[in-house]
Amino acid sequence: MNKLSAKSGKGKTRRDNIRGYLFLSPWLLGFLMFTFFPLFYTFYLSFNDVKLTALGWEMTPIGFENHITALLRNLEFTPAMLGFILMALVYVPGIVIIAFILAILLNQKLRFRSFFRTIFFLPVIVLSGSVMHQLMDTGSTDIMFVDQIFIFSMVYNFSPFVARVIYILFENFTMLLWFTGIPIVLFINGLQKIDRSLYEASQIDGASPWQSFWKITVPVIKPIALISTLYTIVQLGMFPINPVYTMIKEAIYNTAGGLGLASAYAYIYSFVIAVIIGLAYLILRDKEVIAPVTKYRTRG
Amino acid sequence: MDMSVSNKYKAKKIKQPLSKKMILHKIRYKIFGYNILTGLASKIVTYTILISISYVFLFPLLKMISTSTMSPNDIINPEVDWIPENLSFSNFKTAYIVLGMPKTLFNSIWYSGVLAIFQTVVSALTGFAFARYEFKLKKFWFSMVLLSFIIPLPVVLIPRIMIFTSVQSSTGLQLIGTIIPQLVMALFGQGVNSAILILIFYNFFKLIPPALDEAAHIDGASAFQVFWHIIVKLSIPSIVTVFLFAFVWNWNETYTTSTFLRGAIKLLPIQLSVFENIFGDLAPNIPGQANVNRINEAYKMAATLISMVPLLITYIFAQKQFIAGIENTGIK
Repeated sequence: MNKLSAKSGKGKTRRDNIRGYLFLSPWLLGFLMFTFFPLFYTFYLSFNDVKLTALGWEMTPIGFENHITALLRNLEFTPAMLGFILMALVYVPGIVIIAFILAILLNQKLRFRSFFRTIFFLPVIVLSGSVMHQLMDTGSTDIMFVDQIFIFSMVYNFSPFVARVIYILFENFTMLLWFTGIPIVLFINGLQKIDRSLYEASQIDGASPWQSFWKITVPVIKPIALISTLYTIVQLGMFPINPVYTMIKEAIYNTAGGLGLASAYAYIYSFVIAVIIGLAYLILRDKEVIAPVTKYRTRG
Repeated sequence: MDMSVSNKYKAKKIKQPLSKKMILHKIRYKIFGYNILTGLASKIVTYTILISISYVFLFPLLKMISTSTMSPNDIINPEVDWIPENLSFSNFKTAYIVLGMPKTLFNSIWYSGVLAIFQTVVSALTGFAFARYEFKLKKFWFSMVLLSFIIPLPVVLIPRIMIFTSVQSSTGLQLIGTIIPQLVMALFGQGVNSAILILIFYNFFKLIPPALDEAAHIDGASAFQVFWHIIVKLSIPSIVTVFLFAFVWNWNETYTTSTFLRGAIKLLPIQLSVFENIFGDLAPNIPGQANVNRINEAYKMAATLISMVPLLITYIFAQKQFIAGIENTGIK
């Protein structure tokens, strides 16, 4: 292959360009039209009063009116947004950590291993917004009533904030678990790629299991944790446990004058998501990750 | 603990000159292992955790099945927790009628199926472009694929609606209330979770040795011939996986779908989400339910179960493909 590319050097890159864009073109067109353009257009819309008239869409610039309405005048949006932020901050780490623990447990020689994996992956397939809505609506997800447990009231007396976090975590514990399906598979996949000999080498060097867990497993798994976190943030937003999506949708339906406001909602929401994703990236990005692994590798 | 006793006993019986420390060490090894993850104690802990977590996973589904077979009396009765006093399957009958089965089921199947086929084709083309060719701005476009996954749906949904309503009003073609808007988006690679589907193909195509298509190129095959005769033929398993995922995700998608359809085509998950309203309208006309037109949990759970069955069947037959598919999204 090297010979070939050396022979036809420039010709190949040109051919690659043409062919690459040829295969990419449907997606590229769609991306520009249905994702890239909307991204900026919604931003523009959020500064306008958008009305559907007989002549089409009519826009009147109104500055920050929509944003002010969203954040200050509408009494439901800001609390819903804050509720979602708090939920995401509790759920996302909770989901990723639980998925990681379950992946470690499943990544050993176990009987019924595939049986457990089948159960944990099931929600990825059957869970839709409406299914979740019905299950939560009928109380089928209430596995326990956290606020009725004695320890909870003790924690509450100690610190209402901690109690709130615990409440969010366990109120819909099943729903939290139901988001772990894909992260578990990603983590197991990552764990299996870790070279066994790394552990042996570190053991010979006198590392405790705990140490080798932190120095080998965690660094290798960090990029996967980042991807799982991103996936979880995106998924969390799309289900009825996120009240903001429903509000935006109602604003969209209200075509008489709602699209500008809906755009403002959507942009504020996206901004929050971007901040949360940025936070996740700061925590989970690769820093000195490669160092310990390569060190062990060269030794082995 | 039995383990430790028998171990001590064995050690004495053989009369090896083991020091106390050695014996203790041996017992420790048996119970805790050299690693946190081996040894008996951790096995027990592992199974306990996995079984209880599985219970929590399945709890809503079990509850759903149990509730769906309850008569109205059982639901009110506080003594009935899991097993209804008299099993009643009339809930399913009612839910079946309210959901508009079997028409809704067929609608959902063809709707998700058509979108899934288009998504699969486009994702394959896109994944192939990224996996095989070094073109300008490749890295940039690849990160755009990932970006398109992260962008919250409402941000792009609003202009998408405007595009399609504008086209509809300027051409007179009925678009809203049909499959066309979503079909167009699927055709141009912007369907549900398209980014993941592209990633699955991308990672799979990278595994196919490039020497194969180089050879075909030398023999005079065009790029599309290579794609069709070599890549596609070798990737049937991943094509099946992507199709299944696309199908399930389109099936479960209600946000975009309900925005574009506005109830014009009745799909199972959307009917389920407005189950209460339809029930209110239909209840007086349902045979045998005329005087029981009060909605209760049993009907809702029966409907939820019905709407889940097609997916459950798919999952039972294709669980390996699903899990392998996610493994294939891999990490660079």
